[in-house]
Amino acid sequence: MAYDSASLDKPLETLKAFDWGGDIAAFEPIDAAVIAVHADPAARADLEKRLASLLTAGTSRAAKEYVCRKLSMIGTAASVPTLAALLPDTDNSHMARFALERINAAEAGAALRQALGTVQGDLKIGMISSLAGRGDTACVPQLAALLGGDSRTAVAAADALGRLHTSEAVQALAAASNVSDKAAAAAIVDARLACAESLLQQGKRSEATAIYQSLATAAAADTSPAGKSIRLAANRGILACLDTTTPS
Amino acid sequence: MRLFSTRVLATVALACLSLSVSPAAAAPAGPQNAAQMTIDFLTRDDADLRAIGLERVRYGLKGQEFTLPLAGLLPKLAPARQLELTAALSDRGDRAALPAVLSLLQSSSDAAVRATAIQAVGALGGAPEVAVLAKSLASAEPEKSAARRALAVVRGAEATALIAAAAKQGDADLRSTLIDILADRRAVAALPDLAAATVADDATVRTAAMRALARFGGPDQIAGMVQGVLKAAAGGEREDAERALVAVCTQNPRHEQSAAIFLEQFKSADDTTRETLLPALGRVGGAGAIAIVEGLIADTDAAKRNLGLTALTKWPDATVSERLLDLLSKAQDPNERELLLGSLIRIAPLPDNKLNNQQKLELLQKTMTLCTRDDDRRRVLERANAIRLIETLRFVMPYLDDPNLAEPACLSVVELAHHRSLRDANKDEFTKALDKVLATTKNEELVDRANRYKQGQTWERKKPAGS
Repeated sequence: MAYDSASLDKPLETLKAFDWGGDIAAFEPIDAAVIAVHADPAARADLEKRLASLLTAGTSRAAKEYVCRKLSMIGTAASVPTLAALLPDTDNSHMARFALERINAAEAGAALRQALGTVQGDLKIGMISSLAGRGDTACVPQLAALLGGDSRTAVAAADALGRLHTSEAVQALAAASNVSDKAAAAAIVDARLACAESLLQQGKRSEATAIYQSLATAAAADTSPAGKSIRLAANRGILACLDTTTPS
Repeated sequence: MRLFSTRVLATVALACLSLSVSPAAAAPAGPQNAAQMTIDFLTRDDADLRAIGLERVRYGLKGQEFTLPLAGLLPKLAPARQLELTAALSDRGDRAALPAVLSLLQSSSDAAVRATAIQAVGALGGAPEVAVLAKSLASAEPEKSAARRALAVVRGAEATALIAAAAKQGDADLRSTLIDILADRRAVAALPDLAAATVADDATVRTAAMRALARFGGPDQIAGMVQGVLKAAAGGEREDAERALVAVCTQNPRHEQSAAIFLEQFKSADDTTRETLLPALGRVGGAGAIAIVEGLIADTDAAKRNLGLTALTKWPDATVSERLLDLLSKAQDPNERELLLGSLIRIAPLPDNKLNNQQKLELLQKTMTLCTRDDDRRRVLERANAIRLIETLRFVMPYLDDPNLAEPACLSVVELAHHRSLRDANKDEFTKALDKVLATTKNEELVDRANRYKQGQTWERKKPAGS
């Protein structure tokens, strides 16, 4: 089906006042257009512009959510400023992240990193999660700086660094392994194990072994169940690293 | 608790050092250290550490050079640890562990260890190990069952041939077990041997052979199976043999070809043989068989007519329903009537018959009008619930007012209500019907079920004992 911008006038107007539970059948032309513009850059740009224009005051929250879902599929760098403007907004931040996490443009990552430095609390944790979801390795220094901060943020940052598992992430996690917050410390151990596992899968056995060995040594005197779990996980990893007869 | 021995920590430290300094030089040392560490873990009291070691035995340290030292640990371990390691070596699948496992089988006095060793011999061994496994079939449990499983999986066509050869001689119980094992192996090469065993002198062997052929026999085995039916002693063995033959002619791959061969065998047989094979022919059914059966029913000889009727009542589907109704409407002999009526009641709701649900219900309703005894009416009502239609509920409901038929009618209402999609699509009608069941039945389980269904709840059917 060919893209017909004019046919979207009414559905887009109706969308502005849409509320959850309302009739979504009216938006089928928009859904069809998202599919139709797939291989047509000009049409895609037009649709993206028209959708992004709805992310303003005067549009319902449900409508903004709908738009963000569509922009996650067809959005480009052109939508990033509009979506970025929603990141500090408690009601709409998570759906803006939903779109930015999936938009394949460096500007989207930059917008999330920018917001990471300004928002607080749950919104900050959301930025951390989305940056890890994007595989945005440029944010590693920012995440590393959060490991010593408040507990929940530090846990999220550790988890994200474990998912990113670059050498900088590995170093940052190792440097922060003596944090006093118990939840953060546990998250850092998990993240380091995740890094080691990933390095082993990449065939980087010596780097993985160094992490496992460091964890085993640190937990050697820990008689708690958690300490035993860490030693077991480290042991298992060391053994896997030593066993070069088996594909990692 | 101490989790690392000094030796292991030293090994790891050395390995880490060598890996970080010179990865190329460390390559051969790494696996050696891993093997040492694994062996150390396997001897620990800590189950978690042993699990890590056993994981490496199962999936790591590839190569015979590691299998040998790992298997060499077996005689040094306590029985419980021997059992764990034997199972892991079995999963590892390296035949290099076989001598150590066989040695354990010979030397261990622990039955559980020997059973695990037998299973490992099955997983790792081949034809040379068939004799030792077959010998273990004569042991007590758990070794006997382990040997049975091991013989079912031991690898190679040569192993199959040896098992088939062993199944031809010796004790009948052992032969029967070996035949079952050949069936488990789907030993196609042994099919001629199995067909030959259907006429063995011992009933246990014959029954096992027919049971095996029922699982994977085909057209080439029909002649042998027919001989098996003829050789079987009348009664239970004959019934089982017939069912096996029918399974090959109705279910197995190429069953149509098998049925055609059976029909030809039947046609070329003498009268006595035909008489024996007739119930099986009825159970197989089909257009070729109906002509033979009709010929017998039309015969003036009462015995032959009775044979024909008996065969017709064993038909596997509803294609003969009109004929059964016709015969029933004309039957004068009470025994004949009972035979035909029972067949109609059985056939009408069969899930795999040729009728749709509406036609099944119509047939059952017609059958009901021909019933003259409450026992038969009860059976009709009980069979009705297999036809999941709202019209079935309407057919059953009037019988709730008949004191002699109320309970089977209540059961059918409740069984129909069990099916949520049918119940929800006709909620008001089912609610009224279940209320009437509650006011009528004396059966506590039906009361419980009716209440549950009224409230939109489910009910879990009790599994038969032993299942």
